[in-house]
Amino acid sequence: MGKLPTQTYHEIDEERIDFEFLRNKLKLKQIEAKRAFSEKYPHAINFLLEKGVQLEKIREHSARILGAGAMAGSLLLTPPSGTKALPPPHEIIEKIKAAQAAPITPPQEMLVATLTEHLPEKTRPLSREEEKYLERIFNEVVGVSARATLEGEHLNTTYGLIGAEQHLRLFPGDTIANHKPYLKEGIAPGRGAWGFFAPSKTELTADLEEKERWYAVVQTLYLPDWNKRQPYLKNWYKYRKVLMVNSKNGNAVVAAVADSGPAAWTGKHFGGSPEVMEYLGGPRYKKGPVIVFFVDDPENKIPLGPVEYNKINIAGLPVMEI
Amino acid sequence: MSKLYYDHLVVLDEVEAEIKKSTKTLEEKEELWKVVDETIHHRVMGCVLDKLPREHHEEFLHKFHKAPHDESLIDYLKEKAGENIEELIRQEIGNLAFELLQEIRGKK
Repeated sequence: MGKLPTQTYHEIDEERIDFEFLRNKLKLKQIEAKRAFSEKYPHAINFLLEKGVQLEKIREHSARILGAGAMAGSLLLTPPSGTKALPPPHEIIEKIKAAQAAPITPPQEMLVATLTEHLPEKTRPLSREEEKYLERIFNEVVGVSARATLEGEHLNTTYGLIGAEQHLRLFPGDTIANHKPYLKEGIAPGRGAWGFFAPSKTELTADLEEKERWYAVVQTLYLPDWNKRQPYLKNWYKYRKVLMVNSKNGNAVVAAVADSGPAAWTGKHFGGSPEVMEYLGGPRYKKGPVIVFFVDDPENKIPLGPVEYNKINIAGLPVMEI
Repeated sequence: MSKLYYDHLVVLDEVEAEIKKSTKTLEEKEELWKVVDETIHHRVMGCVLDKLPREHHEEFLHKFHKAPHDESLIDYLKEKAGENIEELIRQEIGNLAFELLQEIRGKK
């Protein structure tokens, strides 16, 4: 007989490495890499320093360049690779409306065909034109008013790879047993970016439980102005509703932002709770391309969870029902 | 936005898992993410300059400084270095992952 979750925390602690130990190990490795590089390529260090850039701060430098480009309305400084010509949105919307009228072609199939035809195979930041186009498509087909830019805020990318996350602790002392039916994914040892959902079990509400069930992770830490615009941005992103659409099968979920990440060097751009991942791609879905837009819902009328439009099954691509 | 031309070649899932296991707050997690990120920048740049003939270093650094996100830098490197630079970066990151995990798990 297996152990109860309350009996397994000793094992978790044994596997767990102390933060200070890990920090020191990683820091030593970083110092070693920097020293080796400086000794071998001093001209590179000097070249970048003359330009006012330190190699270790290159991500911030990149954020400033891309942020400036976006503010100037130029989308990206270089044309995005894999750009496909977009037809006028009304053409596609007419097609979708026709498909909705004809029961033979489900709207989800039409949406998948549209995304496949007009999005690049490899994920990348979308141009404003592409985002505007998708906003209209989502509004018409999925039935959710979603925006790539909402109240002036925009994610670093709206088309990227999502990865599976663990459950988040709802309150101090929360265990995996409170997160049925998805237990094998486990529960994150630490708190989410906004702390516990409730300060205690007694203060937990159904609404907060729903937020944990359908939570999303976005890379707020890499936003170019994240550190400068606090606490505004932290408050703005807390439980912000996002529409996540699996570009391969059209499954769509409305989720609440409840954590920050993943790290840039994981190859992923977003994260999803076990429930979000199950709905987007099924039980074995761990990583895949998604589009993530903010939900424009000032009256808080759109519920979290699966979006109803895609209850229709399409050939070869199962629509998950939880 | 924040993106580097080699981001798509870097996947350190196991290191990420170790960090998740060891951190309790977002601040701790982000601190370690940044330390790993900075290590990667030096290792990748070292790997690239190792393969790029010296006479092209300044030109590459100039391009990199202007557009560190630009994936066409890979094409430039392929042309000037005459090698499959993507594969070399992947190998370098693989080596780094191995070294980090050895350090973390105390096998050294």
